[in-house]
Amino acid sequence: MTYHLFLYLIITIAAVMAVMHKKMLSSAIMLAVMSIGVSLLLFNFNAPWAGVFELSVCAGLITVLFISAVSLLKKEDELLKENYAKFIILPFISIALFILGTIYFMPYFEYINGYTKTNVSENLSLGEIIWKNRGFDLFGQITILATAVFVIKSIFYKRSDL
Amino acid sequence: MSFTFSLDFLFVILLFFIGAYCMIVSRNLIKQLIGLEIISKSALIAVISCGALINNINLAQAIIITIILVEVVVVATGLALIVKNYRLNQSIDIKKLNNLRG
Repeated sequence: MTYHLFLYLIITIAAVMAVMHKKMLSSAIMLAVMSIGVSLLLFNFNAPWAGVFELSVCAGLITVLFISAVSLLKKEDELLKENYAKFIILPFISIALFILGTIYFMPYFEYINGYTKTNVSENLSLGEIIWKNRGFDLFGQITILATAVFVIKSIFYKRSDL
Repeated sequence: MSFTFSLDFLFVILLFFIGAYCMIVSRNLIKQLIGLEIISKSALIAVISCGALINNINLAQAIIITIILVEVVVVATGLALIVKNYRLNQSIDIKKLNNLRG
Protein backbone atom coordinates (compact mmCIF):
# COMPACT_ATOMS: atom_id res chain seq x y z
CA MET A 1 0.00 0.00 0.00
CA THR A 2 2.82 2.39 0.85
CA TYR A 3 4.60 1.44 -2.37
CA HIS A 4 1.39 2.04 -4.30
CA LEU A 5 1.03 5.53 -2.83
CA PHE A 6 4.71 6.23 -3.46
CA LEU A 7 4.28 5.35 -7.15
CA TYR A 8 1.28 7.65 -7.39
CA LEU A 9 3.27 10.48 -5.84
CA ILE A 10 6.10 9.94 -8.35
CA ILE A 11 3.59 9.99 -11.24
CA THR A 12 1.90 13.16 -10.02
CA ILE A 13 5.14 15.04 -9.36
CA ALA A 14 6.50 14.05 -12.79
CA ALA A 15 3.24 15.20 -14.43
CA VAL A 16 3.37 18.55 -12.67
CA MET A 17 7.00 19.03 -13.67
CA ALA A 18 6.20 18.09 -17.28
CA VAL A 19 3.51 20.74 -17.34
CA MET A 20 5.42 23.47 -15.54
CA HIS A 21 8.87 23.13 -17.07
CA LYS A 22 9.84 25.84 -19.55
CA LYS A 23 12.04 23.75 -21.81
CA MET A 24 10.24 21.28 -24.04
CA LEU A 25 13.07 18.74 -23.82
CA SER A 26 12.77 18.60 -20.03
CA SER A 27 9.01 18.22 -20.39
CA ALA A 28 9.49 15.23 -22.69
CA ILE A 29 11.93 13.61 -20.25
CA MET A 30 9.55 14.17 -17.37
CA LEU A 31 6.80 12.54 -19.45
CA ALA A 32 9.09 9.51 -19.79
CA VAL A 33 9.59 9.42 -16.01
CA MET A 34 5.82 9.53 -15.61
CA SER A 35 5.44 6.62 -18.04
CA ILE A 36 7.98 4.59 -16.07
CA GLY A 37 5.96 5.28 -12.93
CA VAL A 38 2.75 4.17 -14.64
CA SER A 39 4.39 0.95 -15.86
CA LEU A 40 5.66 0.18 -12.33
CA LEU A 41 2.10 0.79 -11.15
CA LEU A 42 0.81 -1.70 -13.71
CA PHE A 43 3.34 -4.27 -12.50
CA ASN A 44 2.14 -3.61 -8.98
CA PHE A 45 -1.44 -4.21 -10.14
CA ASN A 46 -0.34 -7.68 -11.25
CA ALA A 47 -0.68 -6.77 -14.93
CA PRO A 48 2.75 -7.59 -16.38
CA TRP A 49 1.86 -7.57 -20.09
CA ALA A 50 0.36 -4.12 -19.95
CA GLY A 51 3.36 -2.94 -17.92
CA VAL A 52 5.80 -4.24 -20.51
CA PHE A 53 3.82 -2.56 -23.28
CA GLU A 54 3.72 0.70 -21.37
CA LEU A 55 7.44 0.57 -20.58
CA SER A 56 8.56 -0.25 -24.10
CA VAL A 57 6.13 1.86 -26.08
CA CYS A 58 5.19 4.86 -23.96
CA ALA A 59 8.46 5.32 -22.09
CA GLY A 60 10.60 4.37 -25.09
CA LEU A 61 8.98 5.12 -28.41
CA ILE A 62 6.93 8.19 -27.48
CA THR A 63 9.91 9.79 -25.74
CA VAL A 64 12.06 9.25 -28.81
CA LEU A 65 9.30 10.76 -30.98
CA PHE A 66 8.97 13.80 -28.72
CA ILE A 67 12.72 14.38 -28.48
CA SER A 68 13.18 14.08 -32.23
CA ALA A 69 10.30 16.50 -32.83
CA VAL A 70 11.77 18.98 -30.32
CA SER A 71 15.13 18.73 -32.03
CA LEU A 72 13.49 19.67 -35.34
CA LEU A 73 12.02 22.85 -33.81
CA LYS A 74 14.70 25.38 -32.97
CA LYS A 75 14.69 28.21 -30.47
CA GLU A 76 10.99 28.09 -29.98
CA ASP A 77 10.64 27.66 -26.26
CA GLU A 78 12.19 31.01 -25.45
CA LEU A 79 9.91 32.83 -27.86
CA LEU A 80 6.63 31.74 -26.36
CA LYS A 81 5.90 33.59 -23.17
CA GLU A 82 3.17 31.60 -21.51
CA ASN A 83 0.82 33.15 -19.06
CA TYR A 84 0.46 30.54 -16.37
CA ALA A 85 -0.66 33.05 -13.78
CA LYS A 86 -3.93 33.65 -15.60
CA PHE A 87 -5.37 30.23 -14.76
CA ILE A 88 -3.50 29.62 -11.52
CA ILE A 89 -6.80 29.34 -9.65
CA LEU A 90 -7.74 26.19 -11.61
CA PRO A 91 -5.53 23.62 -9.78
CA PHE A 92 -6.61 24.97 -6.43
CA ILE A 93 -10.27 24.58 -7.38
CA SER A 94 -9.60 21.01 -8.51
CA ILE A 95 -7.74 20.17 -5.29
CA ALA A 96 -10.65 21.54 -3.27
CA LEU A 97 -13.02 19.43 -5.39
CA PHE A 98 -11.04 16.26 -4.66
CA ILE A 99 -10.95 16.86 -0.96
CA LEU A 100 -14.72 17.39 -0.87
CA GLY A 101 -15.30 14.44 -3.18
CA THR A 102 -13.07 12.19 -1.12
CA ILE A 103 -14.81 13.06 2.08
CA TYR A 104 -18.37 12.71 0.78
CA PHE A 105 -18.53 10.44 -2.25
CA MET A 106 -15.50 8.20 -2.49
CA PRO A 107 -16.34 5.84 0.38
CA TYR A 108 -19.51 4.80 -1.48
CA PHE A 109 -17.39 3.35 -4.28
CA GLU A 110 -15.94 0.86 -1.85
CA TYR A 111 -19.35 -0.79 -1.46
CA ILE A 112 -19.18 -1.84 -5.12
CA ASN A 113 -16.46 -4.26 -4.04
CA GLY A 114 -17.85 -7.76 -4.26
CA TYR A 115 -20.97 -6.70 -6.12
CA THR A 116 -19.46 -6.95 -9.57
CA LYS A 117 -17.25 -9.89 -8.75
CA THR A 118 -20.22 -12.21 -9.00
CA ASN A 119 -20.77 -11.29 -12.63
CA VAL A 120 -17.38 -12.62 -13.70
CA SER A 121 -18.14 -16.15 -14.73
CA GLU A 122 -14.71 -17.33 -15.75
CA ASN A 123 -11.25 -15.87 -15.54
CA LEU A 124 -9.69 -16.31 -18.94
CA SER A 125 -6.02 -15.71 -19.57
CA LEU A 126 -4.84 -12.72 -21.56
CA GLY A 127 -4.21 -14.66 -24.76
CA GLU A 128 -7.65 -16.24 -24.67
CA ILE A 129 -9.28 -12.84 -24.16
CA ILE A 130 -7.36 -11.27 -27.04
CA TRP A 131 -7.95 -14.12 -29.48
CA LYS A 132 -11.45 -15.24 -28.51
CA ASN A 133 -13.37 -12.37 -26.96
CA ARG A 134 -11.70 -9.43 -28.64
CA GLY A 135 -10.48 -10.99 -31.84
CA PHE A 136 -12.29 -8.49 -34.03
CA ASP A 137 -10.48 -5.65 -32.24
CA LEU A 138 -7.20 -6.77 -33.74
CA PHE A 139 -8.62 -5.88 -37.15
CA GLY A 140 -9.42 -2.40 -35.87
CA GLN A 141 -5.95 -1.99 -34.38
CA ILE A 142 -4.31 -2.95 -37.64
CA THR A 143 -6.57 -0.47 -39.44
CA ILE A 144 -5.58 2.30 -37.04
CA LEU A 145 -1.88 1.57 -37.58
CA ALA A 146 -2.33 1.55 -41.36
CA THR A 147 -4.22 4.85 -41.14
CA ALA A 148 -1.38 6.41 -39.16
CA VAL A 149 1.17 5.29 -41.71
CA PHE A 150 -0.99 6.67 -44.53
CA VAL A 151 -1.48 10.02 -42.74
CA ILE A 152 2.22 10.50 -42.01
CA LYS A 153 3.10 9.55 -45.55
CA SER A 154 0.60 12.06 -46.91
CA ILE A 155 1.77 14.84 -44.56
CA PHE A 156 5.38 14.55 -45.66
CA TYR A 157 4.54 14.05 -49.30
CA LYS A 158 7.35 15.00 -51.63
CA ARG A 159 6.26 15.95 -55.07
CA SER A 160 8.32 14.41 -57.77
CA ASP A 161 9.66 16.61 -60.50
CA LEU A 162 7.37 16.86 -63.47
CA MET B 1 -4.90 -7.17 -2.70
CA SER B 2 -5.30 -4.22 -0.45
CA PHE B 3 -5.49 -1.53 -3.11
CA THR B 4 -8.37 0.80 -2.60
CA PHE B 5 -10.45 2.00 -5.48
CA SER B 6 -10.86 5.43 -3.90
CA LEU B 7 -7.13 6.14 -3.83
CA ASP B 8 -6.82 5.19 -7.49
CA PHE B 9 -9.65 7.42 -8.55
CA LEU B 10 -8.36 10.32 -6.47
CA PHE B 11 -5.11 10.28 -8.41
CA VAL B 12 -6.91 9.65 -11.71
CA ILE B 13 -8.90 12.85 -11.24
CA LEU B 14 -5.77 14.71 -10.16
CA LEU B 15 -3.87 13.61 -13.28
CA PHE B 16 -6.84 14.48 -15.48
CA PHE B 17 -6.95 17.99 -14.09
CA ILE B 18 -3.17 18.42 -14.51
CA GLY B 19 -3.45 17.45 -18.20
CA ALA B 20 -6.50 19.62 -18.76
CA TYR B 21 -4.72 22.56 -17.13
CA CYS B 22 -1.77 22.05 -19.45
CA MET B 23 -4.03 21.97 -22.50
CA ILE B 24 -5.97 25.06 -21.43
CA VAL B 25 -3.05 27.26 -20.45
CA SER B 26 -0.25 26.45 -22.85
CA ARG B 27 0.13 28.08 -26.26
CA ASN B 28 2.86 25.69 -27.28
CA LEU B 29 1.58 22.87 -29.48
CA ILE B 30 3.99 20.28 -28.06
CA LYS B 31 2.97 21.19 -24.53
CA GLN B 32 -0.64 20.61 -25.54
CA LEU B 33 0.25 17.17 -26.85
CA ILE B 34 1.99 16.43 -23.54
CA GLY B 35 -1.21 17.43 -21.75
CA LEU B 36 -3.16 15.00 -23.94
CA GLU B 37 -0.67 12.27 -23.01
CA ILE B 38 -1.19 12.94 -19.31
CA ILE B 39 -4.97 12.72 -19.77
CA SER B 40 -4.66 9.39 -21.60
CA LYS B 41 -2.41 8.07 -18.83
CA SER B 42 -5.11 8.92 -16.32
CA ALA B 43 -7.64 7.02 -18.45
CA LEU B 44 -5.28 4.04 -18.49
CA ILE B 45 -4.97 4.04 -14.70
CA ALA B 46 -8.76 4.23 -14.45
CA VAL B 47 -9.15 1.16 -16.66
CA ILE B 48 -6.63 -0.95 -14.71
CA SER B 49 -8.17 0.17 -11.43
CA CYS B 50 -11.64 -0.92 -12.55
CA GLY B 51 -10.15 -4.23 -13.69
CA ALA B 52 -8.68 -4.75 -10.25
CA LEU B 53 -12.03 -3.87 -8.70
CA ILE B 54 -14.01 -6.48 -10.63
CA ASN B 55 -11.19 -9.01 -10.18
CA ASN B 56 -10.74 -9.51 -13.93
CA ILE B 57 -7.36 -7.96 -14.58
CA ASN B 58 -6.75 -9.77 -17.86
CA LEU B 59 -9.63 -8.04 -19.64
CA ALA B 60 -8.25 -4.70 -18.41
CA GLN B 61 -4.84 -5.63 -19.78
CA ALA B 62 -6.34 -6.43 -23.19
CA ILE B 63 -8.06 -3.03 -23.24
CA ILE B 64 -4.90 -1.24 -22.08
CA ILE B 65 -2.92 -2.65 -24.99
CA THR B 66 -5.49 -1.10 -27.36
CA ILE B 67 -5.31 2.22 -25.47
CA ILE B 68 -1.51 2.30 -25.74
CA LEU B 69 -1.65 1.62 -29.47
CA VAL B 70 -4.14 4.43 -30.06
CA GLU B 71 -1.98 6.72 -27.90
CA VAL B 72 1.09 6.04 -30.02
CA VAL B 73 -0.83 6.66 -33.25
CA VAL B 74 -2.21 9.96 -31.94
CA VAL B 75 1.22 11.14 -30.81
CA ALA B 76 2.94 10.18 -34.06
CA THR B 77 0.30 11.87 -36.21
CA GLY B 78 0.17 14.96 -34.00
CA LEU B 79 3.93 15.40 -33.98
CA ALA B 80 4.03 14.98 -37.77
CA LEU B 81 1.40 17.71 -38.11
CA ILE B 82 3.31 19.99 -35.73
CA VAL B 83 6.59 19.57 -37.60
CA LYS B 84 4.87 20.18 -40.94
CA ASN B 85 3.16 23.26 -39.53
CA TYR B 86 6.51 24.52 -38.24
CA ARG B 87 8.03 24.15 -41.67
CA LEU B 88 5.17 26.09 -43.25
CA ASN B 89 4.66 28.86 -40.69
CA GLN B 90 7.95 28.89 -38.72
CA SER B 91 5.99 28.78 -35.50
CA ILE B 92 4.38 26.39 -33.06
CA ASP B 93 2.22 29.01 -31.42
CA ILE B 94 -1.49 28.22 -31.57
CA LYS B 95 -2.30 31.93 -31.76
CA LYS B 96 -0.67 32.03 -35.19
CA LEU B 97 -2.77 29.22 -36.60
CA ASN B 98 -5.31 31.68 -37.98
CA ASN B 99 -4.97 31.21 -41.69
CA LEU B 100 -8.66 30.44 -42.13
CA ARG B 101 -9.78 33.56 -40.30
CA GLY B 102 -12.14 35.69 -42.35
